[in-house]
Parts: sequence; structure tokens; C-alpha cells
Amino acid sequence: MSDKAKTNASPMRAGSMSLTLTPWIVAALLLMVLPFIFNNNSSITIMNQMWITVIFALAYNMLLGQGGMLSFGHAVYMGMGGFLCMHVMNYVEDFGLALPLPLLPLFGGLFGMGCAMLIGAISTSGAGTRFAMISLGIGELVAACSVIIVAFFGGEEGISGDRTYGLPFFGIEFLKQIEVYYLISFWLMLSAALMYLFSRTPVGRMANAVRDNPERAQFLGYSSRWVRFYSFMASGFFCGIAGGLFAINYEILTEENLNTASSGIILLVTFLGGVGFFFGPIIGAIAFTLLQTVLSLETELWAFYAGALFLATVMYFPGGLAGLIMMHVPSYRFGNANKLFVPYIKTLIPGLITVLGSAALVEMIFHYRHGSVGDNEMTLFWITFDSHALVPWIVVSVITGVAFYITKTTAPALKEAWGDANTPPTSGGAS
Amino acid sequence: MTAALELSGLTKSFGKAEIIRGVDLSIGKGERHAIIGPNGAGKSTLFNLITGRFAQTAGKISLHGSDLAGLEPYQINRMGLSRSFQITNIFPAMTVFENVRCSLLWSMGYKYSFWNLVASSKKLTDGADEILEQINLTERRNLPAGVLSYAEQRALEIGITIAGGADVIMLDEPTAGMSHSETDYIVDLIRKVTENKTLIMVEHDMGVVFGLADYISVLVYGEIIATGRPEEVRGNPKVQEAYLGEALEAEH
Repeated sequence: MSDKAKTNASPMRAGSMSLTLTPWIVAALLLMVLPFIFNNNSSITIMNQMWITVIFALAYNMLLGQGGMLSFGHAVYMGMGGFLCMHVMNYVEDFGLALPLPLLPLFGGLFGMGCAMLIGAISTSGAGTRFAMISLGIGELVAACSVIIVAFFGGEEGISGDRTYGLPFFGIEFLKQIEVYYLISFWLMLSAALMYLFSRTPVGRMANAVRDNPERAQFLGYSSRWVRFYSFMASGFFCGIAGGLFAINYEILTEENLNTASSGIILLVTFLGGVGFFFGPIIGAIAFTLLQTVLSLETELWAFYAGALFLATVMYFPGGLAGLIMMHVPSYRFGNANKLFVPYIKTLIPGLITVLGSAALVEMIFHYRHGSVGDNEMTLFWITFDSHALVPWIVVSVITGVAFYITKTTAPALKEAWGDANTPPTSGGAS
Repeated sequence: MTAALELSGLTKSFGKAEIIRGVDLSIGKGERHAIIGPNGAGKSTLFNLITGRFAQTAGKISLHGSDLAGLEPYQINRMGLSRSFQITNIFPAMTVFENVRCSLLWSMGYKYSFWNLVASSKKLTDGADEILEQINLTERRNLPAGVLSYAEQRALEIGITIAGGADVIMLDEPTAGMSHSETDYIVDLIRKVTENKTLIMVEHDMGVVFGLADYISVLVYGEIIATGRPEEVRGNPKVQEAYLGEALEAEH
């Protein structure tokens, strides 16, 4: 009997195993190859920031997506981990201890977990408004402490250190950005894998159960409070790791790293990426970091666009970018994905022009109102023109208006094609 | 022999309103016991008191001889008491299989483990599949529980309730809102899965009650006015007057 069961189970398991391993291998290879493709220093700096944000966002989603807990003060755990690592780094430098730099984030993780245990003991008794309010209060409290407890937080200028003073790790001194890049990538792979595995353990599964129906979970023998507490602890650990990597990468931490604004950003990042899927926060962190770094070079108004994108996500795609991608899985399975191609082009290209046109108008208003006196020339999309003349305004308005009109008229056809593509191919089978 | 469940002098007040007014009841091991009574008699409140959802105002509840006062629902559950709800209470976003698997975790000793992977435990997978077989939902295994039909969701809830291996099973109106054929199906299912267990249920459908129960207690205005074998209760004039006359008439 057991033999039969084994033969039934093992091929299935082996199959699912290779299926789940593929994205991890691809991700690891990408992490290794990316610095050779984007090999200038600023790209590597952006990627370092990106991967740190990915760890932080994944850790945040252990609460928001997996456990149904909305935290408004999660930067605290990353910040605390970072501050501790900064102190350890300086301590190692002053006393010449034998602590290799790559192990430093572990201290951040443990300290983040310790803080999460303390605060989680109070806050995890519920998941709703109470939890959110406590997290907000704690966030404000710690941010305020940063100017009071100067010995730990360094007051307004924060604390800084030098990562290269420690022991060389197999000859690597972490002088170059690229060395830090691989250190961060290593911790990213490790943390992401551990967080993924956590969601597959009994306590990780029960975190989902408690999120969906805390009362039912209680009647299955699980205290919803303890389940939340363990998720909170694990999340604090990985936030602390992200904080430690931040300390290594930037060599400075300030109050900004743990204030409410930073907490707000990680909520935004995670939601933008999509809380419903494990890989959602990864996409969110990549998209947001690109907005923050690349777009901010182009325009001062990048935060305005990030805000608008967030608003659009909440209103129209609550599943986030990951949800948007996964929406297409059924039509792909039915073999109908190609039916969507033409309608998408017909609607999305004018849609894109509408968005860019609106952005151009926003930029022009901004330039008109805030440009220095006499400086009437502005450049948008590689075209230089006079923002005080009438013609550019008319041209941009007309283009935007027409594009919007086309988007609107082609949208119903897209909707129809969407419905069509998501209908199972069999005509009359009840299978 | 200690009773599976014993209530003595149990009362519950919400402010000034006394909902349970001194209930004494002893339910033996392996008994199938139905609690009936008119709407608002306090049947669901009684259930909620026993399972730790509410705290009692006075009196004592003991499960296999140990006092349940002050215990949380999850602690009571770990002592071998499991319940279903009047309104379907499952994990709608999870698959049917995962619903059952979650209900096996504690009883199989996984507790708050974060060093085991649920998918690699053959014991869990086989255990959950066995339960699915029992409640005839094997074909629905990988669907989200929320898309099942009402009767299937009720069956799943019974599955979740019994999966943990509790020996005292409490079902709150398991057949409410079902058609005749669905009711018959669920009654057979209940009979099958509660074999050798203590069953306590609240039910309005007299057909179900008289078909399934070994003992019946009648709860009226927070008090038990009669307890006994179905035929004794049916013949009891007090019960006839207070409740059963109308209820039986309504049946026919």
C-alpha cells in the first residue's frame, strides 16, 4: 500500500519541485549577470538600493499579504537593525574584532527580531485598526527617540562608519560597489528563499488562515495571537537584515531611515507590486526604485507620478502589478493569449500617449509657474520649446485629447476580447 | 465514568438580559445529543459558552472532568472539543485541500513549527486526502473553498470540524438552509464521521433530530425543560406545550 502511495506521490512532488526551483535559478543567474550588463557605477548603486528594498518589501509583505496585518511603522525594524549594524561596524573598527563584514546583517536581523518581539507582544493581539494604530504610534515614538537617545541614534546627523576597516573577507575589502553588490545579492537570495519557505511551513500556512478567518483558526487549536506574533517576529528579522545591508551600502543611518515617511514608502512599494503573490513586492520594489532613481533624474515631480501610480493601483488594480500579470494566466492556459495582442495595442498605445500627454501638461504647468523669470525654454521628450507660448499648449492638449478619445472608443473592444479570451475553449462540455 | 461534557448551574447575562438561566446538563461519552428549542431560546449562546467564545457569568463547564473556565477557544480545542458554526465558517480563499490540511496541523503535532514544510509531509497530505474522501470532496480538492456550493461548504466545514480528531463534536445547525436531498446527504455524512464520538448539535429540523439523536434536550428561555430519549421528550406534556407541538405541526 505504501509502495503504491509512494509511486503516486513522488513523480508529482519531483515535478512541482523542478517547477518551483526554476524561477529561483533564473533569479540567481540574473543577479550574477546584471552587473555585467549595467556595468557603470550609478547602475550598480541603483541595483544595490533596489535589492535592499526588495528584502524590506518581502519582509513587509509577510505581515500585509501573508498575515493580513497593516503596519504603518515598519521602517522601525529596518532602521533599528541598520543602526545596530552601524554600531557593530564601528565597534569592530575600534577594537579590531574578527568579524567578517558579510556576517554583519545577521546582527541587524537578530536585533530587528528582538525589537519586533518586544513590540509584537503588545500589538499582535488584533489585526485591524488596533494593530495599525499601535504600529503608527510606535513608529512615531521611535522616530522621536532618535533625537533624544543620541548615543544610539546619533541625533540629527545620524551615525556613520566605514565598512572597509574590518577584516578582509577572503581578500575582499568591500572597497568597490561591485563587491557590495554581490554581498547584497547573496543576502537577497538567502532572505527571499527563507521567506518563501517560511510561507510553506505550518506557522506560515496558519498565518494565511488567521488572515482569512482568525476565529476559525482559534477553533482549530491555533491562537491567532501567537500566529501573528511569529509572523511579526520573522518579518522583523528580515527587516533587520535589510537594515544591516543598508548600513553596509550607505555607511550612514539617520532618523530618516525609521520615520513614518519611510514606513509609508514601503507600504506603497508592496501594494504597488501586489500583496497577493509572493513575487509581488519584488516587482514593486524594482518599479518603485526605478521611479525613484531614474525618473527623479528626469523630473522634479517624480513623487507626484509615483503617487498617481499608487492611486491608480489602489483604485483599478488592487492586485498590484503582480495581480495584473497573473490575471493573464487563465487566458494563456486556454491558449487565447494571442487574441488579446491586437486589442491591447489598439488601446494601450493611445492610453500611453494620454498618460504621457497629461504628464507633459503637468510639467508645463509646473515650468510655467515655477521656472525662473526670463527662462521660458523647456525641454520635454527631447523637444525644446517656449512654455509661455500658446502653440505648445494647444499641440499637447490636442494630442492628449485625441489619444484619450481613441483609448475610450477602443476600450469596449478590449473588454470584449478580454471576456472572449477568458472563456474556456470547449464549446459545450461540462468537464 | 465521567461525562464527556458536563454543565452545572450555567448562566450568562448580557447586561441585564439573562440569556442562559441555570443550565444543568450531562452528556455521556459516545452519545449523540441534540439541543432543540424555539428561536431565541439561547441555543447558540450555550454553544458559544461551551466553546469559550463567550465567558460564562456563573456556573461550571467541564470537558472530560476538567474545568474549562477562563480557557481560550484554542485551548479548549486542543483538549478535544471541536465545533462548526451556524453561518459557514471556512477559509474561503484557500483551496479545499488546504482548509482540511490547516485543521490537521495542530493535532498532528506541528504547532508553530517553522522548520517543517507542509508540502513535504506525507502524513499531512494523506491525512487531508483521507478526510476529503470521507466528506466526498476529493474532486473539489484544488478549488478555492469559496466557490463551492452551499451544501459542499457545509460538508467542508464538518470535515474541518472533525479533522483534528476531537472526540467531542459540536455542530450548530448543520442542515440549516438546505434542500431535502442535501439534508439527507449531510445527515448520513454526520452519522458516518461521528462514529464513536460524542456529538452535540443544535438543530431545527425535527426529522434530522429524531433521526440522529440518542438524547434530546429542550431549551426554552435559557432553561432546559426536559432531557431524555426522543420518545420520552416527544411525549412530555411540558415540551408539547412550550415548543414541540408547534414545531411538529410546522413539520407536517
